[in-house]
Amino acid sequence: MGSGGLVAAALVAPTAFQKPKTVKPVPSPSFAGSVAPVVKKYCVSCHAGGGAPAGVDLSNFPDGASVLKARELWSRVSQNVSSGHMPPDGAPAPTKAQREGMVRWLDLTLVGDCKLQDPGHVTMRRLNRREYDNTVRDLIGMDLNLSEDFPSDDVGYGFDNIGDVLSISPLLMEKYLKAAEQVATKVIEVPDNRPMHFDAENLKLTQGVSISEQGQVYFFSEGKATVEKYLTMGGTYRFKVEAYGEQAGPDPAKLAILIDGKPVQVFEVKATVAHPAVYETSLEVDPGKHEIGMTFTNDYYRPGPPPQDRNLVVKYLDVYKPAAKATAASEAQKRIVFASPVGADWNTPAKLVLARFAKRAFRRPPTDDELSRLVKIVDYVRKDGQPYEKCIQLCVQAILSSPQFLFRVERADTSASLNSYELASRLSYFLWSSMPDDELMALAGSGQLQKTETLKAEVKRMLQDPRAGSLADNFGEEWLNLRKLALINPDPAQFPDFDEHLRSAMMTETKMFFNGIVKNDRSIIDFLDAKYTYVNGPLAKHYGMTGVDGDEFRKVSLEGTPRAGVLTQASVLTLTSNPTRTSPVKRGKWVLEQILNTPPPPPPPNVAALPDDGKQVAAASLRAKMELHRKDPACATCHKKMDPLGFSLENFDATGGWRSKDGNTPIDASGVLPDGTKFQGAAELTGLLMKKKADFVRSLSEKLLTYSIGRGVESYDRCAVDAIAKTCESTGYRFSSLVTAVVTSDPFRKKRPVGGKSK
Amino acid sequence: MSHVIPRRTFLKGMGTLMGLPLLEAMMPLSALASSPKLRTTRMAFLFVPNGMSMPQWTPGSEGVGFALPQVLEPLRPLQGEFSILTGLSQRNAFALGDGPGDHARSAAAWLTGVHPKKTAGADIKAAISADQVAAVKMGHLTPFASIEIGCERGAEAGNCDSGYSCAYSSNISWRGEATPMAKEINPRLVFERLFGKGDKNESIESRLMRTRYNHSVLDFVMEDASRLRTQLGDRDQKKLDEYFTAVREIEERLSKFDRATANVGAGGTRIPSGVPHDYSDHIRLMGDMMILAFQADLTRVATFMFANEGSNRSYPTVGVPEGHHDMSHHGTDADKLKKKAIIDQFHVAQLSYILQKMHAIKEPEGSLLDNSMVVYGGGIGDGDRHNHDDLPILMAGRGSGTVHQGVHAVYPNGTPLNNLFLSMLDRMGVPTESLGDSTGKIQHLF
Repeated sequence: MGSGGLVAAALVAPTAFQKPKTVKPVPSPSFAGSVAPVVKKYCVSCHAGGGAPAGVDLSNFPDGASVLKARELWSRVSQNVSSGHMPPDGAPAPTKAQREGMVRWLDLTLVGDCKLQDPGHVTMRRLNRREYDNTVRDLIGMDLNLSEDFPSDDVGYGFDNIGDVLSISPLLMEKYLKAAEQVATKVIEVPDNRPMHFDAENLKLTQGVSISEQGQVYFFSEGKATVEKYLTMGGTYRFKVEAYGEQAGPDPAKLAILIDGKPVQVFEVKATVAHPAVYETSLEVDPGKHEIGMTFTNDYYRPGPPPQDRNLVVKYLDVYKPAAKATAASEAQKRIVFASPVGADWNTPAKLVLARFAKRAFRRPPTDDELSRLVKIVDYVRKDGQPYEKCIQLCVQAILSSPQFLFRVERADTSASLNSYELASRLSYFLWSSMPDDELMALAGSGQLQKTETLKAEVKRMLQDPRAGSLADNFGEEWLNLRKLALINPDPAQFPDFDEHLRSAMMTETKMFFNGIVKNDRSIIDFLDAKYTYVNGPLAKHYGMTGVDGDEFRKVSLEGTPRAGVLTQASVLTLTSNPTRTSPVKRGKWVLEQILNTPPPPPPPNVAALPDDGKQVAAASLRAKMELHRKDPACATCHKKMDPLGFSLENFDATGGWRSKDGNTPIDASGVLPDGTKFQGAAELTGLLMKKKADFVRSLSEKLLTYSIGRGVESYDRCAVDAIAKTCESTGYRFSSLVTAVVTSDPFRKKRPVGGKSK
Repeated sequence: MSHVIPRRTFLKGMGTLMGLPLLEAMMPLSALASSPKLRTTRMAFLFVPNGMSMPQWTPGSEGVGFALPQVLEPLRPLQGEFSILTGLSQRNAFALGDGPGDHARSAAAWLTGVHPKKTAGADIKAAISADQVAAVKMGHLTPFASIEIGCERGAEAGNCDSGYSCAYSSNISWRGEATPMAKEINPRLVFERLFGKGDKNESIESRLMRTRYNHSVLDFVMEDASRLRTQLGDRDQKKLDEYFTAVREIEERLSKFDRATANVGAGGTRIPSGVPHDYSDHIRLMGDMMILAFQADLTRVATFMFANEGSNRSYPTVGVPEGHHDMSHHGTDADKLKKKAIIDQFHVAQLSYILQKMHAIKEPEGSLLDNSMVVYGGGIGDGDRHNHDDLPILMAGRGSGTVHQGVHAVYPNGTPLNNLFLSMLDRMGVPTESLGDSTGKIQHLF
């Protein structure tokens, strides 16, 4: 994941630009005056050439213009210099004034005037797997979960809804086409009025029956013609036989319908070869396997002259299925196919049906051209003699295969704002991971949605809708890395209590916690310090809590326990551990990355990681080994930041259970930050993070913005992120206020116009 | 020569599938396959992540008759049928100023030989991979231009590798510079894709009608896409082009199936039921699917990622409860080195299963293995150092009698791995001037 290059956060040193908007260039810094000398004196001794640390080569920037060509790089430089992360400890460092001068110049140069910010361009996003499933669910009212068979969506910037990495391979396209066909056939049942047709070709004939020269079933004596059939439905079946007799003797030829060998209906077949007739009856038949057949019951023969010979000839037997019963699918079908033809005109009702369905599927009204091309499909299928429903079914399949459905299209034009329908989709996919509902579409249709007040009201309404649970399922899971939990397999020898129930309970806890903040519009600071959580029996036992039994989750207070916020939840503690031991480094990194959005650069290659020999490593010796590790200056800069954070969580084992001792050695949960701050245990870590509240809010703002617009946050988004964080802070940190600030920001509502000119 | 796989042979081949529910569907493999030429050559690339225990991989002597080092031990039954190629490199997987991210970079470079653009999301960019060069040129000969399979989904959790998009570390096959070829990881789905779901209640008549209707759906959406294209900016047009390419390829296949469906008749086959829990079963079953596809000439090009690059899967069945990536950063720790070698040997054992099976399948001339070129290896040498020279590369199969085997070929270190691919593309009948950083073709085996 990219560092994003925005957050002026770290655990050390005050930030130089808390409020970039109000910074006045007094005295006006310049590249030559404020940046070049500092870089030359303090940076390039390490940061030069191909092998420069963290890939940061600052040796080739002669002027301000060259800096602008590498915005992201310099954004990171600004961040690291302002936080005091660079130059590393022990290296010669610039004065505070020098730091501030350099950062201020970079800030002004890279960010510029907030009023003129570029809203950026979001690459057209295709629906990801979860969005696809949710959209189909809301579109047809049936939950089909078809995306299970789709290939994975790639992840960019920590999220799987980023337009640039959501590609379409032939494999995925194949799945889309198949899924469209599945949806269409599931939701629209084509009435099958065609009978099961039996004739000489597919009937089994016994002795006394043969096939005539005309290919008909010829009963010359009392034999049988039968067929075995599995009937899925019980009920009234209609039987239709076309037959005639070669009449002789006193009576007409008689034909009996047989079911499972028993005659259930006898026809007197008076018709003759010149005028064959159709004989019909309705019979009750149970579902299951049956032998259906016919027999000739009154054979007659007198040797002549002339000979008298009565025979029976059957052209075919048709069996019609009973009418289908109403099902959930047929309800869904009625909602879609709400108009049917009354006469020969199919196009009028089809147009009504397709206009409504296409509008919902494309998330905007269809064009006349689109409708007329759909009607062409109706004509094409109708010419085959297919029923109306089949025509609609194929159109539904076509609509669901269209790029207009699979992609969230935002048109390129000269306008600097998204149109109302595009805005409605951004909103619904952000908060629901699904299509806009009727209300949103109506607000888009009337243009009301463009009003800030309407947007705000919609956010409130949508967050209270059950569909907002997708924020926890998607944003929450990805932000907190929860999907990694499924991949961790703690060593069963050391953690015998860990099983799939516990794993899923850990996941549920954090998801419910997240959802609780959304639903109850709690302060986002709860993520850091909430003294409550949600547990069921097994998880409570894992936490050493009493009085909670059964599989049902409930909210419990954490007062008097060492736990608070997400950081001490078993999910997070487990997914940041190795299978055989805790990893203070991973935990520290998680805090820096997920909570503060200041990810440390990855370790340089060639550095030996700590041994993990599968044997239990005593926590004390682990600490000693890590301290040795940190002696290496190549490692020290970052590990001095990460490790203490992780060490303070050492009281929690690799599955998040509490421990006060490791073997016989008491746990040492103390840490010292690079600036000398000493702290101990999870509670003091929380206290430390609370002091960095502003950095956390900014971090979450940036992550939520990334998720909401589906692109990485760039240097030109800094003003927007600042404003979002500030709004959130001034409105009591409510979750809804954070979301509202994102939704009303320029990157969310605006777009980069074509040609640079606004209408 | 009939290419319907006799039921008995099929079942024998599908050993790992025994006990799975019998599909009543009737469909001879020939129904889907175009009639193969007398001798067709196939090419497969099998990928393993996190580098290799090079001292236990590289044979001690050059040329023929080398002794098998520990990691290669499971290949004993195949001695003479494969070669080890030492010294080949993907120098574009090195940082070249882009800093860390060797895992992602090396997977993306492995078959492309280009330096992937460092990005966590915006503008992913690599280049066409060797397998796709063949797929594009020969795809029209078989129902599927290529198949891409693996055992791990693309990462869906958090970041991937140091500022590189997950698209890089979970794909080795690239159709174009921004289009990784997504892979299928469920053997059942691979089977259904290759052989159809085989709805026995569907008549030929209704199947043909369905195909015709599907064509009309594709016509509709292609027109939709063309109109949409005019309303999009450059970057979005590129996304839409992926859609175009994909639909066109499917259209082509639909036409092939039109012809094929007419032959649907009697036969019998089994389908896998899902993803096996046991990793070794999973690899083998996916291998079976690849072999079936080759055997029935449904495709001639395959890529198979045993695991994604950087995978931290644990191997408890062979006594390694720790993660693979963790072990690969051995820091010369004896225990980690040992465990890394165990993992490497485990993978080679699965390779051996696949190669032995291909060896046992007789074709009109030689075995399936004889008529294939299978490359096995990865884009990292030592998992701890993250070097991309002196890569672990094995090649098996005689390319329909055009390749020598049984050698330990040593090339000057730094020889582009892409040179091997060029030589292979020659043998596939699709000579290619250059690919990625290639500088020519390689000697010894060819």
